[in-house]
Amino acid sequence: MNWKLLCILFSCTLILGCGSKKNFIVLTPTEDGSVGALQVENQKGSAILDEEGKAIYVADKESVPSEPTAISRPEIDAFFKEALQVHPLMPQSFLLYFLFNSNQLAEESQQKISEIQQAIKDRDSTDIAIIGHTDRTGSDAYNQQLSFKRAQAVQKFLTENDVNGDDITITYYGEGNPLIPTADNVAEPRNRRVEVMIR
Amino acid sequence: MKKYAFGCLAFIILCCYPIVSTATEVVVGKVQGTRGLVSIFRDGKTKPAFPHDKVFLSDTIMTGSNGAIGILLEDNTLISMGPISRLEMKKFKFSPAKNEYEMSLKMGQGSFVYQSGLLGKLAPHAVTLDTPVGKISMLKGTDFRARFSE
Repeated sequence: MNWKLLCILFSCTLILGCGSKKNFIVLTPTEDGSVGALQVENQKGSAILDEEGKAIYVADKESVPSEPTAISRPEIDAFFKEALQVHPLMPQSFLLYFLFNSNQLAEESQQKISEIQQAIKDRDSTDIAIIGHTDRTGSDAYNQQLSFKRAQAVQKFLTENDVNGDDITITYYGEGNPLIPTADNVAEPRNRRVEVMIR
Repeated sequence: MKKYAFGCLAFIILCCYPIVSTATEVVVGKVQGTRGLVSIFRDGKTKPAFPHDKVFLSDTIMTGSNGAIGILLEDNTLISMGPISRLEMKKFKFSPAKNEYEMSLKMGQGSFVYQSGLLGKLAPHAVTLDTPVGKISMLKGTDFRARFSE
């Protein structure tokens, strides 16, 4: 075996290898495990990426995008190490439920507090949205007020449990935004809710 | 005397407030985490970026050689970038109530981790990203990573 030739071949592979990996786009699975699709397009051509762990390489705007090519997970993670260290957590949403025609929190919902506190801590969040809703029994106007009272009850509940009141914003929709669509005047416990969104 | 000074201060604040608030800045998201030197280029000026800072339409976010930044957009799209990266917020509309969706970002050089939010779910075709090698169009909401070197 000619060592010199082998060395030259090896260096060529390295250089070409690195060169071709200058620019690439790689698909990764979403948190729920699903995989979507995207298209990369320039004047010279286009390619579709719809499989996780596959990458499209493109030298520049004047070059045809490659066919999707497999790339190893450790390699992907190494290239994006610094970004991943500061990658934010997805906002987390909690649904708290209420007794019929009341701003009294259901017992099970009160037990959510430690999870809510943890979600705030994990995100170092100063952006907590409280969104009030009702079911469709009673008039629109009454339910607007009831959803507001429910949102206020959750605000009180959170601030009593060491959540900073300045970080909270309140909105309310009455019966106008049901989780489970029903006809008017139908009692639906799952619509008697307040959403707490930690961003 | 002290009372007088407070009065003056209140007056100055009141005078300045309308000037600040009339600027029609559209919030598109906020900074969540940073590392090293990171900055935002806005209205011809560059300022350092910190966690909880708002990100406005037309902002360009930049990282230094030791920098990294993570941002959360209004629709819950998450984007982080590593050292020597640039990202411009060109267009952003997210109002489900009005059925208005649009997002157009310009990625410069750098390394990007993109986690799709509600725009990707509700209106993937409204999402486009300009990159140094061409245009990325979202066909179906997806997470991806991209790296561009100059």
